[in-house]
Amino acid sequence: MKSVVIAGYVRSPFTPANKGQLAKVRPDELAAQVVKGLVKKTGVKPDDIEDVVLGCAFPEGEQGLNVARLVVFLAELPLSVTGTTVNRFCGSSMQAIHIATGAIQMEAGEAFVCAGVESMTRVPMPGFNLLPHPRLYESYPDAYISMGFTAENLARHYQIPREAQDNFALASHRKAAASEAAGNFSSETIAIAHRGETVDKDGCIRPTTSREALAKLEPAFDKKGTVTAGTSAPLTDGAAAVLVCSEDYAKRKGLEILARIRSIAVAGCPPAMMGIGPVNATRKALARASLTLDTIDIIELNEAFAAQTLACVEELSIPLEKLNLEGGALALGHPLGASGARITGKAASLLKKNAAKYALATMCIGGGQGIATVLEAV
Amino acid sequence: MTEIKKVAVIGAGVMGGAIAAHLGNAGVPTVLMDILPKAAKNRNAIAEGALEKLLRTEPPAFMQKKAAHLITAANVEDHLDLLADIDWIIEAIVEDLKTKRNLYWLIEKVRKAGSVVSSNTSTLQLAKLVDGMPERFAQDFLITHFFNPPRYMRLLELVAGPTTRPDAVAVIRDFAYWCLGKTVVPCNDTPGFIANRIGAFWLQCGVAEAVDEGLSVEEADAIMGLSMGVPKTGVFGLLDLIGLDLMLKVDASFAEILSANDPYQAIRRDMPLLSRMIERGYTGRKGKGGFYRLKASGRESGNEAIDLTSGDYRPTTKPVLESLEVGRAAGLDALIKHPDKGGRYVWTVLSQTLTYAAALVPEIAGDVHAVDRAMQLGYNWMHGPFELIDRLGAGYLAQRLKNDGREVPVLLAKAAAAGGFYRVKAGRLQHFTASGRYFGVPREDGVLLLSDIKLAGKPLAENGSASLWDIGDGIVCLEVHTKMNTIDPDVFSMIRKALEIVPSGYKSLVIYNEGQHFSAGVNLGLALFAANVAAWPTIEDLLMQGQEIYEALKYSAFPVVGAASGLALGGGCELLLHCDAVQAHVESYIGLVETAVGLVPAWGGCKEMLIRLSVDPRRPRGPLSPVAALFETIGFARTARSAFEAKELGFLRPTDGIIFNRDRLLVDAKTRALELAKGYRPPDPIRLTLPGPAGKAALGLALRDLRAKSEATAHDEAVAGALAEVLTGGPEADPIEPVSEDEVLRLERAAFMRLVKTEATLARIEHMLATGKPLRN
Repeated sequence: MKSVVIAGYVRSPFTPANKGQLAKVRPDELAAQVVKGLVKKTGVKPDDIEDVVLGCAFPEGEQGLNVARLVVFLAELPLSVTGTTVNRFCGSSMQAIHIATGAIQMEAGEAFVCAGVESMTRVPMPGFNLLPHPRLYESYPDAYISMGFTAENLARHYQIPREAQDNFALASHRKAAASEAAGNFSSETIAIAHRGETVDKDGCIRPTTSREALAKLEPAFDKKGTVTAGTSAPLTDGAAAVLVCSEDYAKRKGLEILARIRSIAVAGCPPAMMGIGPVNATRKALARASLTLDTIDIIELNEAFAAQTLACVEELSIPLEKLNLEGGALALGHPLGASGARITGKAASLLKKNAAKYALATMCIGGGQGIATVLEAV
Repeated sequence: MTEIKKVAVIGAGVMGGAIAAHLGNAGVPTVLMDILPKAAKNRNAIAEGALEKLLRTEPPAFMQKKAAHLITAANVEDHLDLLADIDWIIEAIVEDLKTKRNLYWLIEKVRKAGSVVSSNTSTLQLAKLVDGMPERFAQDFLITHFFNPPRYMRLLELVAGPTTRPDAVAVIRDFAYWCLGKTVVPCNDTPGFIANRIGAFWLQCGVAEAVDEGLSVEEADAIMGLSMGVPKTGVFGLLDLIGLDLMLKVDASFAEILSANDPYQAIRRDMPLLSRMIERGYTGRKGKGGFYRLKASGRESGNEAIDLTSGDYRPTTKPVLESLEVGRAAGLDALIKHPDKGGRYVWTVLSQTLTYAAALVPEIAGDVHAVDRAMQLGYNWMHGPFELIDRLGAGYLAQRLKNDGREVPVLLAKAAAAGGFYRVKAGRLQHFTASGRYFGVPREDGVLLLSDIKLAGKPLAENGSASLWDIGDGIVCLEVHTKMNTIDPDVFSMIRKALEIVPSGYKSLVIYNEGQHFSAGVNLGLALFAANVAAWPTIEDLLMQGQEIYEALKYSAFPVVGAASGLALGGGCELLLHCDAVQAHVESYIGLVETAVGLVPAWGGCKEMLIRLSVDPRRPRGPLSPVAALFETIGFARTARSAFEAKELGFLRPTDGIIFNRDRLLVDAKTRALELAKGYRPPDPIRLTLPGPAGKAALGLALRDLRAKSEATAHDEAVAGALAEVLTGGPEADPIEPVSEDEVLRLERAAFMRLVKTEATLARIEHMLATGKPLRN
């Protein structure tokens, strides 16, 4: 089979929904600037791009229609480049990478832009016109369970106390703040231009947050529960993109390869426990790569909730020192459709930067799913 | 009115800040300045701090968030040059002559020609403020005295000096009247002007006499509240509200500036109790408490009141006085004649206060009507001092004073001889003047008052709850006059009557009253009574009647204009919703609050709101959007806290009018009614695209989240579920099969009937009737 590689990763700054600096930026525009930035940074020849595969969790309003095709126009890519919008909720843009991977292995193209976007300001959850199936809602309400409750369920099931969640969130902010201070994000961030101004800084990280400040927060979903706004990923605006291509192509064109995609998987789980989704997805992906978790050097696990991440950590026995080295979604933010591209791109970058062998990127998905990608050094 | 385009307020204290906020409400860009804070990095910190505080003030200082954006925080060190293009500069700094005059010199250097400067002083006289200032300054200077809180208190006392330009006075007067909604009362340049001069006397007297007569603060407040129509505060409660420290300052300044033979000097006394309270932090509601405090510590909580002799707090008790009972039953007349300590207290305080007022005209104001307006609008007295004298009988008062061996002021003696301070002559209200003659009570240009119309004629029709008046030019006015203007079957009868009368030779109908509120909604007492005897058909019939009558108003062949002010809740709100247009006083508090008593709007409120939000092009598309917005607005019983907010929530249409001056409400509503009458066509019924069960499921999800957060009780869930059923169009609705207005009305009735039969809803209604507050069960 053809070897598929990641040859570039960029993202926009991630800023808080409603009050952040990207609140006024349309998501299609945001995605287009990031895609343009990826093309420029990687040096991929626009005519060579087979398809723009764009993940989005609530593809309506300004991120509606087939937003991927509109991003092609906005990013001024050749008209020969197509666009398709993918929805697997939080796993959308990782799914975009998987789609490209499969296509390349089918020899149905050599270079793909795999991106994701979400303006949680401009298209707030759960979209503008939620219309659940009345019978399903009655007979199986878990199908529509809201995310906060799933985190509470895991906190209860895995007996993850409030304090452990707070500590985990605090650590995420500390790591992210340190990385930001060290300039680690500058190489991956595309400055976004909007009405004569430039947004080039992340907005969700709280370098000064403390155990005390986190401990003071009221439970956000269940008054008797343990999950707070501080231990949930913030509502975020942002976009991310990676270049996925065949290893042959990358080498032929002299592109910088970050990592090879070794295996991929998706797996379902009970919707009420959706946060545990990464466990089976990871197991499947590792088995397909004939690897075990202890051989993985770098792990990016999307922090939808502290409780959810800690539940996966426990199930998979993930060593914390390998996890989310530069901070996770609790600190950086989680623009739903964009997070998959971010963590996969991040895992690939860290693999290269740390000269490590294997990396894993995995995330949970509303509705009870997990998705995972195993990467290896080239 | 366009002359005042930009205003500056200097002094960001309680008054200055709140005046600026109200200018923001009026849509005027305003600079708010204060001095440089000591050793602060942020040089605008004082003004900015004041703005932040104003955004959290209760009751709200701002009518909408947008208003706050019009205010620029600044400081007098760095930004005096900003005054160069300001049309009206309001000084509201510390009450110190020297400091004020220093500031005036600075202002004078930068302000542009033709701008107006005014002081919000409450104690200093204009003559002293302009003494030695350049001629230009004196010509452009006046006193504009606002009352706290300036958004809500309608009085503006205006003092012009002998050299003040008449056009400067006119510009400010007009601006305050039209744009700020003030009743502008011209005052003479005397200490404390009108309201505080009489108000402070009354408060001093009220405190001193309570001590002398041995009345408790609760007794004194109950008696005084009843006699002056200030039932919520009385004297001591009002002092808590004003602040005890302010009271002492006002007293000190009056003691200093009033002449030695002013009666105030005789009744005022040092009050060691007040000083002690202030020292301990009991400055009133803004402090730890005042004459009353909320006991928060210990096992029991509840209200406490101070014992006026010992100075210790004790639990409040319900005052029991025979005079109080008599007063409640037979009015002020009987109360003031009662021999117990309550009766004696009212007589002493009122006779002194009213006599004082009578002796001050024409010294402080041109006429008695100005004094009455000032006391009503500045101190919330139900009746002004001269109206009170007339209620007691000017002759009675003069005679009793004589009997007591007290002096009778000349004006009172004359008025007593003439038959009182007010009279109606040829259908016109007239007031007695110092010249000994009666003159018509002045009204602003074009102002139309129902009270004047009533003096001049008889209603077209009337019953115990409502009347119909011919207000001229072919317009009929429906006036509801029940308690809180609640809606009952007699109101329905009168609407039916209007539906007959208007087409028989009139053009349009205006719904208006001059009470405090448009309507507090359905008379819940009637509903509860029917429910308690399980008279379900009666209740259902009441629903049917309301729906039919409101529909009939909406689809009648003539236009209907609602004139909103004060509360318009529940059934009152639904009445407004069925009008073709609404002219709203900006202080209109509109809301569908049925869920607070465990019900859903069922006189077409859900239906009308669905129509409005569905056709509003500014709102997001799709079948769920209007439903979800209304589920929140109605589900949380949200009441708009201004007419602007009512527009945001959809209770008012974008085309409905909002005005600031309450006195112009009827004339504006009438004008609107006349406009609409030209070529009027009733609206076409529409069919609503509603989401049906899928939408109900979506709302169910939101509700489940609220339950988990303990933000909704089990009965909240039941009520919200019933509301969701109505708003989503019922179990048969589907986005491709639009629902008729009648179907939504049927759903409203069904949901209402289901809820009204539950114990929990009845408990809510009972609790609301008993306490005026919602029960969370």
